[in-house]
Amino acid sequence: MNEQLKAILEVLIFMSQDPLTMDKIKEVLGEVPEEEINAALEALKQDYAAADRGIQIIQSAGGYLFTTKPEHDQWVRRFLQVEKKTKLSSAALETLSIIAYHQPITQAEIAAIRGVDSTYSVKTLLQKKLIKIVGRKKAPGNPLVYRTTEKFLQYFGLNSLDELPKEEEIRKILEEEKQTVS
Amino acid sequence: MEPETPVAPDVQEVQEIQEAQEGTAALQLSSPSEQGYQVKLEIFEGPLDLLLYLIRKKKIDIHDIPIAVITRDYLEYLERKDQINLDREAEFLFIAALLIYIKSQMLLPREQEVSEDEDPRRILVDQLLEYQKVKIACSMLREKEEDQLLRWKRTFLPPVAKPDELDLLEVSLFDLAETFFLIMKRKERENFRVIKGKDVSVEEKIKEIVDYLEKNGQMDFLEYFSSQETIEEALVSFFCLLELVKNHVVIALQEQLFQTIRVWLRKDRPHHLPHGHSHE
Repeated sequence: MNEQLKAILEVLIFMSQDPLTMDKIKEVLGEVPEEEINAALEALKQDYAAADRGIQIIQSAGGYLFTTKPEHDQWVRRFLQVEKKTKLSSAALETLSIIAYHQPITQAEIAAIRGVDSTYSVKTLLQKKLIKIVGRKKAPGNPLVYRTTEKFLQYFGLNSLDELPKEEEIRKILEEEKQTVS
Repeated sequence: MEPETPVAPDVQEVQEIQEAQEGTAALQLSSPSEQGYQVKLEIFEGPLDLLLYLIRKKKIDIHDIPIAVITRDYLEYLERKDQINLDREAEFLFIAALLIYIKSQMLLPREQEVSEDEDPRRILVDQLLEYQKVKIACSMLREKEEDQLLRWKRTFLPPVAKPDELDLLEVSLFDLAETFFLIMKRKERENFRVIKGKDVSVEEKIKEIVDYLEKNGQMDFLEYFSSQETIEEALVSFFCLLELVKNHVVIALQEQLFQTIRVWLRKDRPHHLPHGHSHE
């Protein structure tokens, strides 16, 4: 194991404002082969994963970053003097998951699935930068089309949209529910 | 040949109707605890949510909804709301109408058995199935959200670079307000002492801020805010800042959320100062 490489990667993750992507790492390190970088990253993650460490390295929105562990939430909040972070409202979360699974999507299409007007939720999500407008649909009225953002991935700790709970998982839960019903 | 009425009430259905009445009573009184599913009257996220809830409560397969029973429950729910806000809840009425339509369709005697494709429940069932998937995806995302909210990232903190190296962003009134509430929360903990009897007018405060800016060029608003003697004065000074921003007298910049707000006079500011529109 290349100990020096491991240390450099640690530095880069520490200094990075956004999740540190492989592209960025390669840009900085130049020649080093990707397998070697991956191995070093993996080792570094292992080091931090030890039970007596407060910091972890996680992969989110396609990059590596440091986070604290959930069990230390209250200490961070005491230190920063902030309240517990607020969760999304159920209406906003519903709207967001519809957008996540059906993107690109228009407001009318969201409303059709939810069965209820979603203008307000869409506005909230735009404000929180969890979704963005990506254009207009070539349809009557040229409605705006929405997609989720990078920040959406970070917010849920997802690496990419592929990590959204899959159809099959959802179907499995449905089946289980059905069995408890009958 | 006798046509069959699909929803002729049989013994089983009568029983279901009775259960339905019990079921809605429970809906009214308390949350059904067996699923850990909190239900108060107003929290349904739309008519499909309500419908799905009623169906689950009855432990019915979505593909085989006893329309008579569900319609009754559904209408009962609507009746129990003393007021229906048409703008907000037209969707509830739409689904009620749809249920009644389906029910009437099913009551009509037909020459032949309806084929599965023509089942009037079909559209509703498809919609419900789709919605049910959304609900499950939601609960999975909620778990992820809850976990992530407990993990703090360095991006939460302001950057450590010097102010002049930063790209400044003009903040919206929304950002200002958010920062304001954060500061207020911190202030609350600082045991603010209130001296009563001193009135601060918005006009005076605006003048004070503008004078300060003319003299000093810029202002660290957080510092200024903290130096206010009373909470009222601090509040008024914040309203003044909002007023000044709105009237394009000053420009307010914040490098990062929760950091201080720097205020400058605008070069192209109007000559007269805004008057505080006091609502008191």
